[in-house]
Amino acid sequence: MKGRQSASGVLSTVMGLALTILFSFGLVILLIFLLSKMPAKTIYAFFIGPFSNKYYLGNMLNVAVPLIFTGLGIAVAFKSSVFNLGGEGQVYAGGLAATIACLAIPHAPGLVGMALALVAAATVSAAIAGFSGFFRMKWDADEMISSFLLSAAVALVCNYFITGPFDDPNNNILSTYPIAKQFGLLKIFPPSKLNVSAFLAIAAAILVYIFMNKTHAGYEMRMCGLNREFSRYGGIKVSRYLVLPMILSGALHGLGGGLMVLGTYQAAIKGFSFGMGWNGIAVALIARNNPLGVLPAALLFAYLDAGAKSAMLGGDVTFEIASIAQSFIFYLVTAQALYDIVRKRRRA
Amino acid sequence: MSSNSSYSVPLVFNAVEIMTPFLLAGIGGLFTELAGMLNIALEGLMLAGAFFSIVFAAATGNLFLGIAMGVLSSMLLALLFGTITLKLRANVFITGLATNLFASGFTVVLAYQLFHTKGVIQFQNIPKLPVLVVPDFLQRIPILGDILFGHNIIVYLTWALVLLSAIVIYRTPFGLRLRGTGINADTIVSLGLSPQKYQLAGILISGFTCGLAGAMLTIRLAAFVPEITSGRGWIALVAIYLGNKTPFGIAVASFVFGLTESFSNYAQGAIKIPSDFILALPYVITVAAMILYAVWRHSRATR
Amino acid sequence: MQLLEMKGITKLYADDLVANDSVDFSLEEREIHAIVGENGAGKTTLMKILYGLEQPDSGSILFRGVKKSIHSPLDANRLGIGMVHQHFKLIPDFTVAENVVLGIEPLRAKIFVDHVTAAREIRRVIESHGFSIDPNARVRSLTVGQMQQVEIVKMLYRKAELLILDEPTSVLTEQEIDSLFSTLRSLREDGKTCIIITHKLQEVMDISDRVTVMRKGGVVAVRSTSEVDKAELSRLMVGKNMLFQLDRKYAACGDSALEFKDVTIRQRGSNRPLLDRVNLTVRSCEIVGVAGVSGNGLGELEDSAAGLRRIDSGQILFDGQDISGLSTGELRARGLAYVPADRLHRGSSLSSTVTENLIVTNHHNFLRAGFLKSGKIRHYATKLVESFAIDGGPRIAIGTLSGGNIQKVILARELTGEAKIVVVSEPTWGLDVASSQFVYEKILEMRSAGAGILFISSNLDEIIGIADSIAVMYRGKVVGFLRNEQDQSKEFKEFIGEYMLGLRDDFVSPDDFVSRDDFAVRAKGESS
Repeated sequence: MKGRQSASGVLSTVMGLALTILFSFGLVILLIFLLSKMPAKTIYAFFIGPFSNKYYLGNMLNVAVPLIFTGLGIAVAFKSSVFNLGGEGQVYAGGLAATIACLAIPHAPGLVGMALALVAAATVSAAIAGFSGFFRMKWDADEMISSFLLSAAVALVCNYFITGPFDDPNNNILSTYPIAKQFGLLKIFPPSKLNVSAFLAIAAAILVYIFMNKTHAGYEMRMCGLNREFSRYGGIKVSRYLVLPMILSGALHGLGGGLMVLGTYQAAIKGFSFGMGWNGIAVALIARNNPLGVLPAALLFAYLDAGAKSAMLGGDVTFEIASIAQSFIFYLVTAQALYDIVRKRRRA
Repeated sequence: MSSNSSYSVPLVFNAVEIMTPFLLAGIGGLFTELAGMLNIALEGLMLAGAFFSIVFAAATGNLFLGIAMGVLSSMLLALLFGTITLKLRANVFITGLATNLFASGFTVVLAYQLFHTKGVIQFQNIPKLPVLVVPDFLQRIPILGDILFGHNIIVYLTWALVLLSAIVIYRTPFGLRLRGTGINADTIVSLGLSPQKYQLAGILISGFTCGLAGAMLTIRLAAFVPEITSGRGWIALVAIYLGNKTPFGIAVASFVFGLTESFSNYAQGAIKIPSDFILALPYVITVAAMILYAVWRHSRATR
Repeated sequence: MQLLEMKGITKLYADDLVANDSVDFSLEEREIHAIVGENGAGKTTLMKILYGLEQPDSGSILFRGVKKSIHSPLDANRLGIGMVHQHFKLIPDFTVAENVVLGIEPLRAKIFVDHVTAAREIRRVIESHGFSIDPNARVRSLTVGQMQQVEIVKMLYRKAELLILDEPTSVLTEQEIDSLFSTLRSLREDGKTCIIITHKLQEVMDISDRVTVMRKGGVVAVRSTSEVDKAELSRLMVGKNMLFQLDRKYAACGDSALEFKDVTIRQRGSNRPLLDRVNLTVRSCEIVGVAGVSGNGLGELEDSAAGLRRIDSGQILFDGQDISGLSTGELRARGLAYVPADRLHRGSSLSSTVTENLIVTNHHNFLRAGFLKSGKIRHYATKLVESFAIDGGPRIAIGTLSGGNIQKVILARELTGEAKIVVVSEPTWGLDVASSQFVYEKILEMRSAGAGILFISSNLDEIIGIADSIAVMYRGKVVGFLRNEQDQSKEFKEFIGEYMLGLRDDFVSPDDFVSRDDFAVRAKGESS
């Protein structure tokens, strides 16, 4: 039922992606040589560090969890040709909403609180994203720009709540009061922070895949994404699919943020989710918006992130070299010529 | 400020100052927009200009050399952005994101390497941007004199650039071909011209103006703050649309945004509103403006 | 004297499609040379190579006896070669003068575009060739015929000595074609050479001195026009005799299936009517052909009948019920089938599979608890692919198919099952003779099955060939309504052409036919 690419098309995509990733790794090595006084140690820390012990490995996998959710959120939207650029604000707001929900019911049983927190996270973020979809449907206001601007405003409002009304004066970081102990997700790979949310992420990827490819709404959504005029002509209610993908996308982003709070931080810390939204876009693009492809793509980004952290601790470079590596993945991931080169090579 | 200033005069005076980076980035972005490319890299280009201009100004002690280097670095980044987008045929939106991410990562990495901090970097020896001196009788024009004069030279340079860009866009072969590229690139190809050439030119022009905009941000502060551009590139992009893709329209839209920010700066001192809300105000107003514009356009279209 | 010789030109496109297979082509100075062939015969590719838009994989070009390599249209212009493309390469927001000078603008003070000189030079070109355009008019305000004149002026301004015209008549009325042809003759008088690409044989006979026939990427014959007739050209083109023969069984017309009552659509922004109080009735078992020049409301008629465009006033009735304002989905539920003019964008989703394209209108029938029943769908698609003889099978992306096969997929989707009303627009545009024949047969089958058919087309030949009655539109109005007697004579076409150009306007109501006799009387009365 899904559009099938030719085998050579798939192969050239894979080869192109491999080139893109190798290039960004090469860039990391080059940067470390330029910036570090002990390049060998730093390079080792960057590439091998994340696998050197259970703590690093588990934390790397744990970073992948929200990336899977944001990547899925973007993939759902992009597959429908709806452009959600508000991921940053939506993850953040989802995390804050989950925190506030938990703070409101400190004595509730663990599962009840977790469920409520995730519902709150998904709802709040779905609503934020849904606004942009609604404006697009109603007045044809560009959802790409409105979702970005709304997200920027929402992030600042979240900052206010985290550092204002909910600020915990007992710690010296800018964060809310911690949520009650029973709401913390079960750790599965101590001493790392990896927790059961990893299973939820895998389940989410499978569910999104089934939804997009096997269901009625998924078919209509994909058709609208491929060609909206064709879909309208075919009798599909097109305007519905300007809003629904936005709501789903927002909800997935919100879940990502909520799970970060329940699983990792047990509080909303100022700026705790920054970067997850933008990187979700890269993850989705590497995965070519395929929900199952989001899993390895998120792991790649988590690896770059973990490598940079490890290089900062075990070497002498700053964490932001990860952004430079990531930016080059962004640069090349849609570079058509790169995939053509691979294709021509194979033909000759 | 002269003696007859009411409350509103400094408000507007500051708005003229604040709007300048929006306007500069908007004018540059107009060239890419007319060439048919959505340029979201304005933010990153501005950031590169902001960082390198102050670093070079501090290193050389020469303000103009600093600004020139800032502009040059922004144009180099634009060249990277343009080359990957046009030669490797990458999605312009994604490469725009890449440019923003690259600029923010690169500036922090360099700042850390050079100054061993990821926070605010203060520079002591930065000279002030010279203020344009005008004849006394101009300065004494009631209200207007206080609003229009007494700004630094980049403000006036920007006004000149607005005028110049209007001339280039509407009166020269380059402008004609650039606009043709955006409307129907096939036509340009059929005449044996290269649309990519005009698109790259547009990107480089946006690099130039964004470099200048960034320079103004840091040199006025005599400091570099990570992410100092804080969304100005995006707001400039909205100004292009609100300004109906004309240089003077962008100037008006930029002024509105400048006025908003200027007003919120005043409100911050006068009324007790959390600073985060005031920082969010430009975004909220821009969204509101954007949606009102869409509603207006929609009602006109379905009349 | 020989002006041009192209020798052994071969061009392969990606996916190993041979567009030109060692083609030899030669051109005498001061001749009008027609290149004919079906779609996909390689005519346009050959001309794009001559104009520098494509590079041949092998072969050489001799211009005035000297070997030349033409890498871009600029090289071609320098040699004095100009091309008028089938799809005009104009910028609608610019003026005529701006379009003409684009790329070689005259300068004032070495910096600015010299609009005064440009307008003067262009006016000179316009006047010396008897064109009727204003250099300062915006191109978007021009008629299609005038836009074509702009394209020709653009090339003459570039000092073209050899003019290539790709399918120049496909968008023109009979009268506009006459005026284009007299322009071409006067250019020949001035010593210029023209190549005209077409697949209309009458035009070849009317205008050309020599003709080159192409088929499947190669040249099959070069003749002097005076030495061939249409039948022979037709045989050379398709490889066998093909005539416009339709097996039409008349069926009694039933009640009105689709009815337009005073339907008006106004242009957004301005108040100009795009459809102006249109009244039109399509009965069941009837084909109503709608003729008109593009830009005169055919597109709006199509869109409003299919529920894709809101009407500003009036009513559209479907089986007697008001359906104005219903969506395409709701109309389909009531029995609409629709074959759109824009088959590559509206009619299909190119990157989706044939199957996904086939079920877009009826996937609701394959549901179980919100999930699609993939087994049933596969079975359904396979059946349709077989019965419509669609190449490639149900699982390949439709965009990889030929134009004829894409149209077959659309027909399979739209003309399977029971439709009460069928809206068909430009159904054979760009298709070869065999594919067109298939389309006509399917439409006639629907008519026999009882559907009412609104057949919109800018191809007058096919309307005369298939329709029961003909409505002609001009500037959004139905200006004529004629009973069709399948008269393919030039006189009848010119008569309809007068309606298409707005020279006649005698439409009163859908019941007031202009009959064949009326036509004869009126034609006599008004031509004197």
